[in-house]
Amino acid sequence: MVWGPVKDQITISHGPVGCGQYSWWARRNYYNGQTGINTFGTMHVTTDFQEKDIVYGGDKGLDAAMRELKGLFPLANGIGVLSECPVGLIGDDIEAVSKQVEKDLEIPVVPVRCEGFRGVSQSLGHHIANDTIRDHILGKGGILEEETPYDVNLIGDYNIGGDGWSSRKILEEMGLRVITQWTGDASVNEMKIASRAKYNLIHCYRSMNYICRHMEEEYGVPWLEFNFFGPTKTYESIRKIAALFDDTIQANAEKVIEKYKPVMDAVIAEYKPKLEGKTVMLYVGGLRPRHTVGAYEDLGMEIIGTGYEFGHSDDYKRTYPVMPEGAVIMDDATSYELEEFTYRLRPDMIGAGIKEKYNYHKMGVPFRQMHSWDYSGPYHGFDGFAVFARDMDMTVNSPTWDLVRKKK
Amino acid sequence: MKILDHNELFQRPEYLEQFENKRQFEGMAPPEKVREISEWTKTEEYKELNFARKNIKINPVKACQPLGALLCSGGFQDTLPFVQGAQGCAAYFRSHLARHFKEPSVAVSSSMTEDAAVFGGMNNMLEGLENAYALYTPKMMAVFTTCMAEVIGDDLNAYIRSAKGKGTIPEDLPVPFAHTPSFVGSHITGYDNMMKGILSTVTQGKKGEPNGKLNIIPGFDTYTGNYRELKRLLDIMGVEHTTLGDISETYDSPTTGEYTIYPGGTPLADAADSVNGVGTIALQRFSTAKTMQFIKTEWVHKTETVTPIGIKNTDAFFEAVVKITGKPIPKDIEDERGRAVDVMVDSHPYVHGKRFAMTGDPDQLLGLISIIMELGGYPAHIVCTNGDKKFKAQAEELLSQSPFGAQGQIYTNKDLWHMRSLMFTEPVDMLIGNSYAKFLWRDVGTPLVRIGFPLFDRHHLHRVPIIGYQGAINIVTSIVNTVLDELDRETMHTASFDVIR
Amino acid sequence: MRQIAIYGKGGIGKSTTTQNTVVALAEAGYKCMIVGCDPKADATRLILHAKAQTTVMDLARERGTVEDLEIDEVLLEGYKGIRCAESGGPEPGVGCAGRGVITAINFLEENGAYADDQDYVFYDVLGDVVCGGFAMPIREGKAKEIYIVTSGEMMAMYAANNISRGVLKYAQSGGVRLGGLICNSRKTDKEYELISELARRLNTQMIHFVPRDNEVQRAELRRMTVIEYSPDHAQANEYRTLARKMAENTNMTIPTPLTMDELEALLMEFGIMESEEEVAVV
Repeated sequence: MVWGPVKDQITISHGPVGCGQYSWWARRNYYNGQTGINTFGTMHVTTDFQEKDIVYGGDKGLDAAMRELKGLFPLANGIGVLSECPVGLIGDDIEAVSKQVEKDLEIPVVPVRCEGFRGVSQSLGHHIANDTIRDHILGKGGILEEETPYDVNLIGDYNIGGDGWSSRKILEEMGLRVITQWTGDASVNEMKIASRAKYNLIHCYRSMNYICRHMEEEYGVPWLEFNFFGPTKTYESIRKIAALFDDTIQANAEKVIEKYKPVMDAVIAEYKPKLEGKTVMLYVGGLRPRHTVGAYEDLGMEIIGTGYEFGHSDDYKRTYPVMPEGAVIMDDATSYELEEFTYRLRPDMIGAGIKEKYNYHKMGVPFRQMHSWDYSGPYHGFDGFAVFARDMDMTVNSPTWDLVRKKK
Repeated sequence: MKILDHNELFQRPEYLEQFENKRQFEGMAPPEKVREISEWTKTEEYKELNFARKNIKINPVKACQPLGALLCSGGFQDTLPFVQGAQGCAAYFRSHLARHFKEPSVAVSSSMTEDAAVFGGMNNMLEGLENAYALYTPKMMAVFTTCMAEVIGDDLNAYIRSAKGKGTIPEDLPVPFAHTPSFVGSHITGYDNMMKGILSTVTQGKKGEPNGKLNIIPGFDTYTGNYRELKRLLDIMGVEHTTLGDISETYDSPTTGEYTIYPGGTPLADAADSVNGVGTIALQRFSTAKTMQFIKTEWVHKTETVTPIGIKNTDAFFEAVVKITGKPIPKDIEDERGRAVDVMVDSHPYVHGKRFAMTGDPDQLLGLISIIMELGGYPAHIVCTNGDKKFKAQAEELLSQSPFGAQGQIYTNKDLWHMRSLMFTEPVDMLIGNSYAKFLWRDVGTPLVRIGFPLFDRHHLHRVPIIGYQGAINIVTSIVNTVLDELDRETMHTASFDVIR
Repeated sequence: MRQIAIYGKGGIGKSTTTQNTVVALAEAGYKCMIVGCDPKADATRLILHAKAQTTVMDLARERGTVEDLEIDEVLLEGYKGIRCAESGGPEPGVGCAGRGVITAINFLEENGAYADDQDYVFYDVLGDVVCGGFAMPIREGKAKEIYIVTSGEMMAMYAANNISRGVLKYAQSGGVRLGGLICNSRKTDKEYELISELARRLNTQMIHFVPRDNEVQRAELRRMTVIEYSPDHAQANEYRTLARKMAENTNMTIPTPLTMDELEALLMEFGIMESEEEVAVV
């Protein structure tokens, strides 16, 4: 999830074919570039482990594979090795292989020990990925012609459906210079030069707080959490970010808000009447269980339940304050538990993942897949809110739900 | 209110400017260099380099064994698929099937983590079986493994016996199992292993009076429409039959306002009684090889394997049904054949002589090669990532039977990046493949007909049958209309923009 | 068809014992097969008169996949028509040898190596059951009888006890039973009595005491079993006796492994191990 979107790096699913196959371009981390030539985001590259690789080990094959890749893709600016379960179980030494290949090919080769059986959830994978950025990329050269006082990193945005781009637009309009975008539409160079920014602006705290803490300690780059879901939170965040900078930026911030407020008001005027008072239950990952609350509230909707698939206690600490009185908060719910909540809370719509989506369609409960925005988006920023509002309206108010003949 | 979606939004000048401005931080190669490399990847030289690679797959057309096992177990009534392995794997399989079918996909996992990696997965399995049974009250639990359980050597049989011995699950609950290592074969192998596991479990001790019914094993078939079509055809023939592993309801259930965890599947009693059938027809060879071997030796009844894609193959299917059941082919079916042939005759001018590139599972490819040759098209590049040497031999034999097979080359253990080189150096007119083949459509510009698995980016194609005479009509319809769409696009500013084609 | 797995500490003489026993059985008219389950792949060399046969995994590595193997390439016929296969596997320190055993046995099974007219299948398994893969030969539907090769040496006995523990686990969930200990003599003190007693404590028997004899080495230098090399030698008869006892053996038990303390007490009782205070001085 962290490394996949880095566009000019070839990310290898190191192990059997399945893992890479099931995650192949499923997350919609948009990027610009020519795939297969200078960018590699929508490709499934795998060492396709066979029985012989398990028995004899896969290190030699990995070594050869990386050399073959560099030959076929000379413009690749890095290689990431994401190890799958068997690699960890048989004790392959991917670090040693990566080190040697990095030396020979003269591009960063990052071994990531993210075997699925490690840790209870994907959350450990985020942490591991952050550590590998720290150890292999960050601060290791990279080109940045000049530094300005307005240089910031946009961190923890995976550019799902272009989220990062609509957020970046706001920051740039404020007069900030976004020197890196992590990791949606990121390049290896951006990952290298991030330590030279003045601030880290972090959207998805869960997946990227580790590296922000590191940059603060090691490079003295302070970080700030912000929220670009829904106009209210976006205005708030714009002002919070601007407060870190000088008067010029602060004045710009007000101008930006002034410019977009009428547009946002129009979106709300269009959709709020159709959504006012509707109740929502969320069950997702990362930042969405809390960050999207404001966006729903801007549309007059009420969150009556929310939950994380892989949250930590710091996530919940950040969640309680934004939730309305009486809302239910869940952790790592099974599909059984989720259905039970649905029957008891009777929300007007549910936002969760693909594995839940069709269960709710059968139940005739309006549903939106909130992992990859149900193949829509962006949802971040001002441009994203318009799409978000329209999508929530079509979810709640589609006439197709009325066709379902529910038993009384 | 006009809402700009991503496709329009990011083409607006302010975004194009943003992208241009971002380039200064990206540190990537300049456009001239990108163009140069891009052109180089289309050359013969690049193709040779590409085909020389041995250690890496790029865009392979195959998934892993447990996915096939999951599809298979979903085909049996009240059956809970149980994944012995890490939790993420189960989530992957379920998502993958859910995206293709646009339906719920059910499985539980024993959530193995570090401790299981060291001490074995027995405790996870015992607790898992107990919990899953208590929560979801299945009538059968089908257990299969991920690569983790296979590497550490978990012994499913011993664990299941142990669970029953300790009373964590009832002694009489059928718990078939299959070892499905992801690093052996592909999803079709996993289907085969699970099917054999289920059938050997449910039919144990059930050999008795012949029931006169025909068994059908569809194989790894992700077209729910095929299952319904098959039922329709055999009903017309008046052949009593049992489809073993019937996913048509499981993965195409009605929306009624209620979610049911087990919406369909072959009734377990019918599955148990299949051992007493008059015979078994498998509709795929490579996804049922072990199962059919088992049936041939253990059930001792007539077996046939035929994939009814295309006219001749469908003829062969009905011959097999006649051979086993002795029922005649009714006029209705004869008429359907006639209509399908009519369609082929009508449309042949737009397909005749066209060169096809195709990718997919072995059995499906054999069917497609056959129907393309029947239409007068030339199968050219046939890329089968999960094909073995038996498939290669069979495909080559098939190609040799028709002058239209003369241009066909079989590439097993190759992937879509190999296909890209083939399509640039030896161009074709049409491409047949799954949704991921759209990257080739984009790079090379060859029109794509979506047949196969997964189909993520077009809706409901899997509900339309591709087997039988009706299936042949559907295949021809999509091929010929893709050709015509393309022709319209090419000729829209010329005199050739015909209204009658 | 009887399937028998031979376990024991590395270097104890499993392969030699197994091959000589199998030849004796073949001599008596039984159809036998040996499946070597050790990456060293030396379980069939005395039958095939070869350095080492092509193993399933080595060939699979060469071809890329197991599916591309033919059974005749890895299942060879040797002396007295004994069929031989070796799982093969990696050098120590890399990969997963246990998985190699699983792969090889699956391959043999799926390709009809276990012919119906087979009387005996012997699995010669790497030293200890270190992971799930090395338990493959005693999974359901495979070997139901286990013999442990041991000697009067302390580590060999430790290993025998450990293996019994593994057998116990499989005996509880399946039908696996311990057929006995084979003492491959190292001429240690009171060896016969010691192993007989260990066997008794493990709820089994010492099925045979194979004396040490240099004829075995002489035969091995010529890549032969003793029975083939010097059929009239007394040592050849020892293996014939062992083979006959195994063929007639009905004493199949669930082992009762000893705790570490019990085992040490036993060793002390026979004067093999000194008491703790004395050890502490060293």
